[in-house]
Amino acid sequence: MNASFVLYMILNTLLVLALAPLFISLIKKVKAATQGRAGPPLLQTYATIVKLLKKEVVYSPNSSWIMRVTPYISMAAILVAALFVPLAFVPEEVGGIGNIILFLYLLALAKFFTALAGLDAGSSFGGMGSSREMSISAIIEPTTIIVFAALAFVFKTLSIFGMFSTSAGGFPAPTLILMGISLFIIIIVETSRIPVDNPETHLELTMIHEGMILEQSGRNLALMELSAAIKLTVLMALLINLLAPFGLATTLTAAGILLAAVLFLIKAGILAIIIGLFESSMSKMRFFRLPNLFAMAFFFSTLVIIIEVFS
Amino acid sequence: MTHQQTQPGDTKTAAILAELLGSGTFAARITAGQNGEFYLAVTEEEFTPAIESLAARKCVLIGLFCVQDFSPRSRFSLLYVFEKKSSILILIRDCAGTATSIARIFPSANWFERECRDGFGIEFSGAFDKRRLFLHETYPEQFHPLTNETPNRPVTPKKQVAPEEEYPFRTVHGEGVYQIPVGPVHAGIIEPGHFRFSVIGETIFNLEVRMFYKHRGIEKLAQGKTPQECVAVAEAISGDESVAHAVALCIATEKISGISIPPRALYLRTILLELERMYSHLGDQAGMLVDVAFPLGANQFSVLREDLMRMNAILTGSRFLRGVVTQGGLTKDIRKQDLQVLLDFIQKFTRRYQVGLKIVLSTTSLLDRFTTTGRIPKELLRPLNITGPAGRASGGKVDIRISHPYGIYDTVVPVPRRLHDGDVLARFTVKAAEVLDSARMIEQLITGLPEGPVHTDQPVRDGYALSVVESARGQDLCWLWVRNGMIERYKVRTASFCNWQAIEHAVIGEILPDFPVINKSLNLSYAGTDL
Repeated sequence: MNASFVLYMILNTLLVLALAPLFISLIKKVKAATQGRAGPPLLQTYATIVKLLKKEVVYSPNSSWIMRVTPYISMAAILVAALFVPLAFVPEEVGGIGNIILFLYLLALAKFFTALAGLDAGSSFGGMGSSREMSISAIIEPTTIIVFAALAFVFKTLSIFGMFSTSAGGFPAPTLILMGISLFIIIIVETSRIPVDNPETHLELTMIHEGMILEQSGRNLALMELSAAIKLTVLMALLINLLAPFGLATTLTAAGILLAAVLFLIKAGILAIIIGLFESSMSKMRFFRLPNLFAMAFFFSTLVIIIEVFS
Repeated sequence: MTHQQTQPGDTKTAAILAELLGSGTFAARITAGQNGEFYLAVTEEEFTPAIESLAARKCVLIGLFCVQDFSPRSRFSLLYVFEKKSSILILIRDCAGTATSIARIFPSANWFERECRDGFGIEFSGAFDKRRLFLHETYPEQFHPLTNETPNRPVTPKKQVAPEEEYPFRTVHGEGVYQIPVGPVHAGIIEPGHFRFSVIGETIFNLEVRMFYKHRGIEKLAQGKTPQECVAVAEAISGDESVAHAVALCIATEKISGISIPPRALYLRTILLELERMYSHLGDQAGMLVDVAFPLGANQFSVLREDLMRMNAILTGSRFLRGVVTQGGLTKDIRKQDLQVLLDFIQKFTRRYQVGLKIVLSTTSLLDRFTTTGRIPKELLRPLNITGPAGRASGGKVDIRISHPYGIYDTVVPVPRRLHDGDVLARFTVKAAEVLDSARMIEQLITGLPEGPVHTDQPVRDGYALSVVESARGQDLCWLWVRNGMIERYKVRTASFCNWQAIEHAVIGEILPDFPVINKSLNLSYAGTDL
């Protein structure tokens, strides 16, 4: 492990921590604007997380160690996963970091413990949330694998760093536009947004992600909220740096990285606005209709594989 | 008991009603009430065949309640209110403390009988459901608050409830069936109600609702008050039914006392009633859209509702239109310039509402959620007495404004709105049509508004009368008995009381995440159920 990689790890982690809450607020702001409301200030999510960090944690008497470790495991897994997706600067790959299969499993680890914690306190809403999250996961998992397999086909590599380096060097294949649709659907599903789940509501009988973290409180809740925000940023970065990588720094220069970071902020801001508009344009889908949405992502990525294999 | 002189037209109706009862001999004994309803005192021997005959002739049991010291022959009287098209017949049955149940013949009697049991201690033999209703298990055993012997003061609840005394919910057994208890404390700002779901995965197999978590003792509170004092009590029954309940009470008082209110007051009352229907429906439609996570559409309606409530405040000084309706008319006139503001507002409102409606009804993802969700089959309407938009969306015809016109609904006749699908979309669409109808009616009423006083001061006479009004939620029933100028019994049966039972059927086979939107589409009042 060389010095530039250590520097990358520090920079990337700080950048993702600093930016993640912003995009959550931005999406809320866009949704509020479409409804003719003012919406929360852009820094609201930061304030909420700071407030929650100061509050005490209350555990249900029925809960076990799962409830206590989940926020840390979730945060740790998501932060490590964030290392796999460079936001502004792509370093040389070092020993397995950047492998897409490991990346998927890190996300799955966080999800697995979140679902367990949902069941842990024994409340019916947590159980319902976990049960739904696992049902959705079981359906979206094959799709996600196919999407990432298609990416591997296009870029001829399993490393996200490798993919980014190739895409930064020039637009590699028109099939990437199709991949963009699949990746967008995965962002929507993985971050529990409309039409899959409603992040705004505590409407007890319909919630999925909110149901699972209903029993979390204080700094544990802050960690859960922050890791959800980081997950959104990381998945957005994956889409952006594959489809619109211009400005992505591949060499270690202060000016280059700064420019790349600013460009990323703008690009992710635009994507967050698109997500906000997308969410405003439709209602939540009926739970059993969700596979139709996933099938779309599946279809486009399978199409990409077929094109890549036969062209 | 005092009855007024029978009019010639009443004789004909009496003969028709006697026919419904299965025996022409009843015709001579049927007497006309003060507000177009008819009364017949029946003996125990006559009761059962009469009930069977009424059931066979498809009458609807719209109310059943107990009154103490009403008949000289017995301590309690049970009043059974039946409706057939535009006739209302009340059977008076003497009761010393026990009676036979009719819940197997008229299922809507189930909650009514349990209510009588809790309130007066009357035991109904042969009832299929003898659980307590509004008195939960912490109330003492022999406590029956509505009897005259029970003073109106706080009761000491039981400290401990034995497990066998706990409320037994229907249980469903089978592989993979489990129960989900929801409420009475909810995650959002919702009134208290307990929902016991039996589900297989996400599919609802059975639902049982339990209400009555905040009983306020409204009927007891009304006793000993003058009808005038009671208007404020009526307004507190349910927030967005304030005008409807106040009007129902005032009509009953006015009919008993032979007061005819000035035409201007009649017009203004109708404007208030229709404003209430509009803002209630709007809140409801916004809620339905929130529940399927479509805030863009929901906000169109929330904003309009808020504008309408501010309009209410300009007109009457109260966002909920309270403190205006009173016995003999209105407490104050509405100024001409305010009515002009309302007229301008309504014209803009209609355009804005249609824009909102267009956004909603052109969103396919939303239509997908609303269509076929939460169906209420038409067969349930009569047995459970499901009324209001919920009934009309399932092919029901009941609209009190048309079948029993009160106020000036006989001259300003509403358009009957009726759909047959019985799903959430049908209820949404019926409400949309009714909002636009109400807007049109208000325009018409303001244009034709007569000049003159809005109040007449006449004394209250003793007597009793039934008054039925159509609130935004459906049929609201009010039976008032005044003795020595004071209220002896004020019985209210809101539309929600009956409609709550519809939801248990509407959700069967649906999935849990669809429950909130089904619930919202029925717009059930918790407070209105739990007087």
